[in-house]
Amino acid sequence: MENSKDKKNKALKILREPKDSKLVTHLNSCVHCGLCAESCMYYLVTKDEKFIPTKKVDLISSIYQRYCTFTGKYIPLLTKARELDDNMTEEMVDQLFGACTLCGRCTKHCSIGVDIAYIVKVGREMLSEMGYVPATLQSTVNAALQTGNNMAIPTEELTDTLSWLEEELQDEMNDPEASIPLNVPNTNILYTLNPREPKFFPLSISAMAKIFYAAKESWTLSTQMYDVTNYAFFSANTDEAIVIAQRLYDEMFSLNAKRCVLAECGHGSRAFRWEAPNYLQKSFSFDVLTSVELMEEYISSGRIKLDKGLNKEVMTLHDPCNLVRNGGIIEQQRYIIKNAVSNFVEMTPHGVDNFCCGGGGGQLAMSEYNERRMKIAEIKAEQIRKTGAKIVVTPCHNCVDQLMQIDAKFKLGVKIKTLAEVVADAIILEK
Amino acid sequence: MTLFRIISLSAFLICCVSLAYHLIRLFKLGLPKDYSHKIGDLKSAVSYSFIGGMNPLKKESAYLHFPTYTAGILYHIGTFVSAVLFFFFLFDISLTSSLQLVPGCILIASSISGIGIFLKRVFLKKLRFLSNPDDYISNLLVTMFQVLTFFMLFTETVSPFYFILTGLLFLYLPLGKLKHSIYFFAARYHLGYFYGWRGVWPAKKL
Repeated sequence: MENSKDKKNKALKILREPKDSKLVTHLNSCVHCGLCAESCMYYLVTKDEKFIPTKKVDLISSIYQRYCTFTGKYIPLLTKARELDDNMTEEMVDQLFGACTLCGRCTKHCSIGVDIAYIVKVGREMLSEMGYVPATLQSTVNAALQTGNNMAIPTEELTDTLSWLEEELQDEMNDPEASIPLNVPNTNILYTLNPREPKFFPLSISAMAKIFYAAKESWTLSTQMYDVTNYAFFSANTDEAIVIAQRLYDEMFSLNAKRCVLAECGHGSRAFRWEAPNYLQKSFSFDVLTSVELMEEYISSGRIKLDKGLNKEVMTLHDPCNLVRNGGIIEQQRYIIKNAVSNFVEMTPHGVDNFCCGGGGGQLAMSEYNERRMKIAEIKAEQIRKTGAKIVVTPCHNCVDQLMQIDAKFKLGVKIKTLAEVVADAIILEK
Repeated sequence: MTLFRIISLSAFLICCVSLAYHLIRLFKLGLPKDYSHKIGDLKSAVSYSFIGGMNPLKKESAYLHFPTYTAGILYHIGTFVSAVLFFFFLFDISLTSSLQLVPGCILIASSISGIGIFLKRVFLKKLRFLSNPDDYISNLLVTMFQVLTFFMLFTETVSPFYFILTGLLFLYLPLGKLKHSIYFFAARYHLGYFYGWRGVWPAKKL
């Protein structure tokens, strides 16, 4: 067993032995201007100074100062350099896990350009090394590690659900050949799911199956590894993130699929498309794309035809932070909506400036912070209310979950849909 | 060259060596190795990070705090002007009276901005909470540098104070937050690199 000193040294090693110039740069750049405060939902709602993004950066940079700089070692008072002790650890857990959705809004608006979300993630990595990941978040990671999906859904339950959905699809398409293929090798696409789909939102699977059917796509799901999520990205435990990412990577080769299409899940998309190659230290030889990009591709190439008259209710879009600000999928969903919806209203602000739903960064998995999560959600509730929309569409199941809770708490009276559901509702099937 | 000038020049050289150490370290550490498939244009993104991304209309830190942002910009302009004038004073290059006027006006505005920023840090609870002694010292040193630069434009009598202050400033600069004079550029570069790699900056047009 490692003692606490060893764990602390492992955490400090992250700061002492940076892999590249990014960490050192961002730890030395903040000037404490405090102008990032209004970019953070936690500060905007609570007005508590400890939630100002620069204060979160300061927690880590003060440790960096103390252990890695001349000034911090010999004149700690000058920069308020701090020891990594129990008090500090407690503050870090509360502010880095419990008061940050890693949305990166502060990063985009920082006067200097400090990557605040990245520094918070580094802080989480340190906490993870010391064994301070909140128990609820860790249990979600453990479920994925032990069962292959974060909701611990048994394979029989999944196959039963998919079989039922397939029958429904055949009825709707009036085609006994319509299918939800399982474990089929050599397809064009290996499609992934957020485990919330088979568990709570099976209609989003039906919607995507309908789109694949209309596009005459060669695709499959894997019962072995279908989970697009990687909560170890949020707990910042790289070893565990590697295990989870490796499984999907291996499944691509096991089924010999050409493209890996990531379900509507912001963090899952980010974790596999942008982080997994770095976890695994290799460039992927197959295409990785989000279902949003795939749907845009189908529409723009004419593989599926839509009638936007079929979606008449006023609709607005919630941009998931990991897909948009941290993933570059900004215009694709708007292109899809333009083709699938007749009455669309943007939120203010939107796109790369959009506010997080409040459920990102693993917040939905950490019930310890439920009250805080729903308190900051008032910003999103107001954004939605001002649009006058009856439907909120978002290409992220995590956001769907949070938005449904927002709808219930703030009595917005809106329906929450995934993008695939909106597209499926507008599809014109060729006879 | 007077003793005060020699002290100031020596401090300046020490400062340069220290900042060079920081810079060389950054270069030696290098950029992050990213194995994911790049979808954006790094060159455009990095350019955007330094130009378009600095547009005050694009950043809440600017457009939600316009007076502070303006003061900050003026303050930095004053610092650059003071830095340039330092070499004029160091090597005793005299300026014509018409050439004194423009920097003089800039330095009045920038010094007032510097004092304003300092007072804001002292009196606003939010900023006091975020600040450490280095924030106050850095702000004071730079503001005094600008004030004394202004006086140096018109009178030699402050010369000893000016060169002692610049000496202190140069010795202090690599120790505290003033070294953001180096790290700011690295931060903007990394930000452009991150957003550029993923196609966030500039956004893909459809």
